[in-house]
Amino acid sequence: MVLVSAVRDYVYRMLQDISGMKVLILDSQTVSIVSVVYSQSELLQKEVFLVELIDSISKSKESMSHLKAVYFLRPTSENIQYMRRQLSNPRFGEYHLFFSNMLKDTQIHLLADSDEQEVVQQVQEFYADFIAVDPYHFTLNMPSNHYYILPAVVDPSNLQHFCDRAVDGIGAVFLALKRRPIIRYSRASDIAKRIAHETALMYQQESGLFDFRRMEMSPLLLIVDRRDDPVTPLLNQWTYQAMVHELIGIQDNKVDLRSIGKFPKDQQEVVLSSEQDAFFKANMYENFGDIGMNIKRMVDDFQQVAKSNQNIQTIEDMAKFVDNYPEYRKMHGNVSKHVTLVTEMSKIVEERKLMLVSETEQDLACNGGQVAAFEAVTNLLNNESVSDIDRLRLVMLYALRYEKESPVQLMQLFNKLASRSAKYKPGLVQFLLKQAGADKRIGDLYGNRDFLNIARNMARGLKGVENVYTQHQPLLFQTMESIIKGRLRDVDYPYVGNHFQQGRPQEVVIFIVGGTTYEESRSVAQLNASNSGIRFILGGTAVLNSKRFLKDLEEAQGIARSNANVV
Amino acid sequence: MATRNRSLLFRKYRDAWKSVRIPASSSASSAATKSSGGGPVIEMVSASLPHPNRSYTPLSTEDPGNSSKGAVTVGLPPAWVDVSEEIAANVQRARTKMAELAKAHAKALMPSFGDGKEDQRIIESLTHEITNLLRKSEKRLQKLSASGPSEDSNVRKNVQRQLATDLQNLSMELRKKQSTYLKRLRQQTEGQDGVDLEMNINGNRSYAENDDLDDMIFSEHQMAKLKQNEALTVEREREIQQVVESVNELAQIMKDLSVLVIDQGTIVDRIDYNIQNVATTVEEGLKQLQKAERTQKQGGMVMCATVLVIMCFVMLVLLILKEIIF
Repeated sequence: MVLVSAVRDYVYRMLQDISGMKVLILDSQTVSIVSVVYSQSELLQKEVFLVELIDSISKSKESMSHLKAVYFLRPTSENIQYMRRQLSNPRFGEYHLFFSNMLKDTQIHLLADSDEQEVVQQVQEFYADFIAVDPYHFTLNMPSNHYYILPAVVDPSNLQHFCDRAVDGIGAVFLALKRRPIIRYSRASDIAKRIAHETALMYQQESGLFDFRRMEMSPLLLIVDRRDDPVTPLLNQWTYQAMVHELIGIQDNKVDLRSIGKFPKDQQEVVLSSEQDAFFKANMYENFGDIGMNIKRMVDDFQQVAKSNQNIQTIEDMAKFVDNYPEYRKMHGNVSKHVTLVTEMSKIVEERKLMLVSETEQDLACNGGQVAAFEAVTNLLNNESVSDIDRLRLVMLYALRYEKESPVQLMQLFNKLASRSAKYKPGLVQFLLKQAGADKRIGDLYGNRDFLNIARNMARGLKGVENVYTQHQPLLFQTMESIIKGRLRDVDYPYVGNHFQQGRPQEVVIFIVGGTTYEESRSVAQLNASNSGIRFILGGTAVLNSKRFLKDLEEAQGIARSNANVV
Repeated sequence: MATRNRSLLFRKYRDAWKSVRIPASSSASSAATKSSGGGPVIEMVSASLPHPNRSYTPLSTEDPGNSSKGAVTVGLPPAWVDVSEEIAANVQRARTKMAELAKAHAKALMPSFGDGKEDQRIIESLTHEITNLLRKSEKRLQKLSASGPSEDSNVRKNVQRQLATDLQNLSMELRKKQSTYLKRLRQQTEGQDGVDLEMNINGNRSYAENDDLDDMIFSEHQMAKLKQNEALTVEREREIQQVVESVNELAQIMKDLSVLVIDQGTIVDRIDYNIQNVATTVEEGLKQLQKAERTQKQGGMVMCATVLVIMCFVMLVLLILKEIIF
């Protein structure tokens, strides 16, 4: 509940002390921030009768001085420009300005200058600068996420924007939690190091703001790079939330079904939020088979209720029906939503033969055996019904694992891939290897570097797995376990500055530059539920699925290529 | 959670800017020509009057010590706000009456020596009042709907939604209270009547058996009892009937309101969805308006009307000419 309740508190405090009819004005980023935690009906309870985006509100000239305006914006120069224009021609009675991060002095000067009519009543900084998709999972939803892949020389200004946004988001999380962390980062990643140092610089510069009561153990901020674990975003998922994101796509806890078929109006876009949907909260981390059973049970319950509703004979029955009607309607909506989602996903699984593909994927990610793997991948490449993107993923997973072992066979796979799929070029796989190959990664992705991990793998192989499709554990899980045991190596994850931490922290925020996945947020939630004494929070610059990850790689490759051409 | 208040700093800067600006505007110097291009007189006038585009009379609540320009605070609201405030006041009144009703229900259910008719009347009148308030509010609520895709119409729609939610919650509460009262009333009635009926049956049997002896006395006693029971039963019937009627009425109101109320947890309850929708409906509305304008202009109606008006004028001229000539 931590992140969600923090943002909710901020929004509540914004609206609580202002009486009368209000209009809430947001920008394109804060709209996502507020929408995932507050619903329209709750806003109406707080007498907010109009919600607008700041760029569309500048177009209208209607004067509504009976409304009080509450602005919640990110402190970007664009927004300041909009504000200046609106303050010089005020449309509303009162103006209350809230910014989601720290304002620079010059920005306050500019705003004060344009407020000739003195309509601004307060200017505050409320640090809700991140999208709290789940209680322990936040994202920054960065549109151009691919800059983390490129070296700094290629596009320094965009990279600076990227780092600034990341630092702002991380700062906001700790301000919302009212803690000041010790920072560690992944040694092998330049951008992680850069973000870590810039965060430390921010703390130094604004030390007055961060002067919280020091608890015994400062929390830990760990900044890692997506390229340390490129396998997790490439895998196909079989637990509910992760699967919906992988096959259909979840954006700000909303699922847009229009891209995969025709649906009636009220099922075109649905909301999947663990805060508002009790069934989803209970099933979001369950695997596909169990979900099917649970949905069937829910449908049966619903059918019973529906039948009893049809059997209305006395006035008492009618009264009871009218009493229960809102509940009934809500249940009906919920049931159809989940049934639709699961049906569509089953269809996609059938079409793309995902059960077959995923078995090989999980083998590539978890078990050894290069020869068997090569055969399996070749067979699937030859299979006509496997789609292009799945072929690409298989070759990538094979390449990530066996890039050193037999280059000849790897070449063969590349050629096969090139001949079969016109759209995707093998160059992408090489690009991936260059960025996230075995030399670039720290951490033991396949469990074959550390003796202990090898032993563990062998034991697991002997024991057998419960479910072939969910046997993969993301690298993040190992990292979190080492933190719990207090054994996170300084060599791999150095500290920023001369801090040193004895013992284990009680709160850890892990920030993955390049994006998180729902599989990782599932690990975090499960570890948090197991009462290990440490509370983990996960965040990233975006929430990835395989499509998004591949798109980022492609865009980065394109820029790198054009840069090479120019040079 | 941490927040930081920048209002003090902001006000400091604003006052600094104000002191810079005031000497500039009072002097007939280049500052005026720079900004508006008009004469210094125009600059001063526009600076001291409130913003000319305001369509409402602004109420100034700033103390006169401040500068003369821009002392505009919350202006007079548009007319529909009165309607919404009226409905909100009704809702509030209905809530207080519901509290009274709850007390009256409790009192009526307690066993008492008196007739209980007074209690019944109070309950009836309260229930009627509340139902009337709700029905009136619902009718007024329909008036709040506006046409046309303006920002004002969005505000009205949202106000409507919120009031509809409140009304629906009130109706549900009222119906729950009534149904519990009804149930307990029935329990009580059955209890009493059951006992009475039993006595009746016994009485009847004994009456049938003992034809001769205690005839007169028994039958009188019994007739009286019978009449009393009948009266009681009839009255309970009536009460139950009335409560059932009001339940039905409220059900009707609820059905009407449920169209306006948002389902929580669905996509319609998402802020970003509503913003997107507003944008598309505003665009659509604009397109429709433009299309309507075009068809209007080309429309035969306009042509006909113009032709007729011209004809009228022509005839008038002819008439005058005729008068003049003859």
